Amino acid sequence: MDLYEYQARQLLEEQGIPTPQAIFAENSHDVAEAADRIGYPNVIKAQVKIGHRGQAGGVKLAKDREEAILDSESILPMTIHGHKVSGVLVAEAKNILHEYYVSISVDRTSRDYDVLATANGGTEVEEIAKQHPEAVKRLHISALGDFDIEDARKMAGEIGFYHADVEQAAQILLKMWEVFKKNDATLVEINPLAKIGDPDDESSKSLCALDAKISLDDNAAFRHDGWKRFEDPIVSDPYEQKARERGLHYVHLHGEVGVIGNGAGLVMSSLDAVSGAGEDQGTGIKPANFLDIGGGASAEVMKDSLSIVLADPQVVSVFVNVYGGITSCVEVAEGILKALEEINTAKPIVIRFDGNAAQKGLQILLSADNPRIHVARTMEDAAQLAAKLAAEQKGER
Amino acid sequence: MTLFIDHNAPVIVQGITGHQGMTHTARMLKAGTNIVGGVNPRKAGTEVVYPGARNGEDAHIPVYATCQEAREATGAQASVVFVPPRFAKGAIVEAVEAGIGLIVVITEGIPVADTAYCVALAQRHGVRIIGPNCPGLVTLSDDPANPGVNLGIIPDGIVGRGPIGLVSKSGTLTYQLMGELAEYGFTACLGVGGDPIVGTTLLEALQQFNDDPDTKACVMIGEIGGTAEQEAAIWAHEHMTKPIVAYIAGFTAPEGKQMGHAGAIVSGGKGTAKDKKETLERVGIKVGRTPGQTAQYMREIMANLD
Repeated sequence: MDLYEYQARQLLEEQGIPTPQAIFAENSHDVAEAADRIGYPNVIKAQVKIGHRGQAGGVKLAKDREEAILDSESILPMTIHGHKVSGVLVAEAKNILHEYYVSISVDRTSRDYDVLATANGGTEVEEIAKQHPEAVKRLHISALGDFDIEDARKMAGEIGFYHADVEQAAQILLKMWEVFKKNDATLVEINPLAKIGDPDDESSKSLCALDAKISLDDNAAFRHDGWKRFEDPIVSDPYEQKARERGLHYVHLHGEVGVIGNGAGLVMSSLDAVSGAGEDQGTGIKPANFLDIGGGASAEVMKDSLSIVLADPQVVSVFVNVYGGITSCVEVAEGILKALEEINTAKPIVIRFDGNAAQKGLQILLSADNPRIHVARTMEDAAQLAAKLAAEQKGER
Repeated sequence: MTLFIDHNAPVIVQGITGHQGMTHTARMLKAGTNIVGGVNPRKAGTEVVYPGARNGEDAHIPVYATCQEAREATGAQASVVFVPPRFAKGAIVEAVEAGIGLIVVITEGIPVADTAYCVALAQRHGVRIIGPNCPGLVTLSDDPANPGVNLGIIPDGIVGRGPIGLVSKSGTLTYQLMGELAEYGFTACLGVGGDPIVGTTLLEALQQFNDDPDTKACVMIGEIGGTAEQEAAIWAHEHMTKPIVAYIAGFTAPEGKQMGHAGAIVSGGKGTAKDKKETLERVGIKVGRTPGQTAQYMREIMANLD
C-alpha cells in the first residue's frame, strides 16, 4: 500500500526526522486557515499517490492568503495521471541550498535492503541514474537487520554528504531505517532531503525532508491493526472494492472479456491469451479484468466471482480458466450454475477445465443445457472463442 | 544423484494439525512421500492417523513439540510449512536452527521482512528454503522401492520420471506445463513462489538442474515483477549446458497493479513481461506465446535428444 505524502511525513515525524511545518486540508476554507498558521510564502501540494504531480500543476507557491485559496481551488478538483486528488498539504516554504536523495527499499535480487542515495537529488532518481550513474550510490543493509549509528556514519560518508552534513545525515539514515522496520515498509524515500537555511549563516543550515514517499507491506497489515489509520477514503474502483471485501484478487482493466481463473500465473496467462486472440482476430478485443479465485475455491467463491464480473457493464463475454489442483472443477461448475440461477445474463461464458475433477465438472455444466455456457478443450481455444464471442456481441450492440 | 533431496527422504510437516496441513499431509502420503512426523507444541505427544494413506495402510504420524525434537527422533531431512503468516517466521527459524536441510514454505501472505530474515538465516546455516507462497517441490523416481518426494500442494499423478526439469513462479501454470509435457516426464518440478523475496530463485533452481545428469532440458515459467528471470537467463547463457524453454505471464498487466502474487507487480516501468522476454530471447532462450506453444518448443527439443 502506498501512502500519501502527508501520511508518509507523519511516519517520519514519529521517528524524529526533521520536516517542514505542514497541515493537510481538504477544502479551500481549511487551506486558508492552514496557510495563515504556516505563514507566507508557503507551498500548496496536491496529495495524490502518483509521481510527477509538479509537472501536472499539482504543486504551487502561495505568496499570500488569496493565492493560497486560488491555488487550492485549482488543485483540489484535479485528477493527476488518473488519480483523484485527495486534498492538499500546505507546507512551509524553505530556502533550499542543496538537494540530496535517499531511499531504503526491499532488494528482490540481493534479498536484503537497498539504500539508494545521491548528492544530486531533487529530480526523479531514475533520471539521475540515467544521466549520472556514477553519482548514485547503492549500499546494503543486511536482512538480519544489523545497522547502527556507526554503519550509518560510514554510509553517509560513502554517499557523499558534504562534510558538515555527515553527522546529521547519519542520524537521519538511522531514523529512516527505524521508520522502515517499525512500519514494515517496502519503500521509504526522501526526495529531496534538502539542506536548508541562510546561505550566509552556517549555524542556520540543516537537513530537512521536504518530500517523502512510503509504501507499506500489505502482508504485514496483521501486525499494524490492518493499517486502519491509513485507510484511503477515495474508492478508486467499485468492482475492485467489492472483490476485496470478498477476499478476492481482482484488478479492473479496460477490455471486454471478463477473466476468472485459479492461481495468479494462470489468470495472467489467460489475460495474455485473450489479448493475443483479439490481435489474431483483428478485433482488438482485450481482457476486462483479472480475477483469481485462489486455491481450493468453493462453489460459493466461484458464484461471487462470476457475479462481480457479470455485473460489470464493460464485460461482453466471460472466460473461466481452471486447472484443478487443490481446486475441484466440480465446485467451480456448481458455482457457475448457481450464479446463473440468480443472474439473468445474455453474456456468453466460455469454460475450460483441466486437472482435478475436470471431466465431472464439464458434465455438470453440459447437463445444465444453458445456451450461455460454452465449453472449450484447451486454454488457447477458450481464449479464442471468448474473444470471438465478445467481438460478435459487441457488433450486435 | 537426486535433485534437492534424496528419494524417499524422511519429511516432517509444520502446521500438520491445521486444515491445510491435514489435507495436504494426506495427499503427500498418498503420493508416497515418507512423512515421519509433525510439529505442534500444543499437541506434542499425540498422533495423527490417516486411514489408508500409506500404500492402503493407516499412517500414524507422531506430533512433536519442536523441530529439534522431531529431527532427533526421525532424522527428518526436510520440512513442509503450512503455518499461517503470523507464525511462519517463528516456524521457519525453528526449522533452520534445528538443522533441517530443506524447508518448503507453502504459506501465502508472509511479510517480506520476515521472509528476508529467514532466507538470510538459512544461508548462514547452509539450509535451503523453497518458497514462500509456492506450490512446493515434486521429485520423480522410477524405482518404486525408492520413490520421489511430493512436498507441498502439487497434485500427484500428473507426471512420471523423465528428462525434463521444471521451475516456475506460478502454481497452476506449473500443473499446466506438467500436464502438457506428461508424455516425456520430469526429474523434478518446483514452484519457487510468487513473493518478492524467495528462498530459492529461478537461477538457483537452474543451477541444480544443470548439475543433475538426468535432467536434459528445462522449462522456466516466469511472470511480471522483479528481474529473477533475467538473472537466471544471463547466468544460463554463461553456464548452462542444457536447453531451456520459457514462458512469461503478464504481458497485459498494467503498471503499478499487483496481479495476485505479492511479487507480481510492474513498478517504475521495471519488471515487465516484455523486458523479460527480450532478455531471454537475446541469450537464445525460446519464449512461448502461450503455455501450449512453450510445450511445443519443448517437444521439438525432446525430438532432437539422442
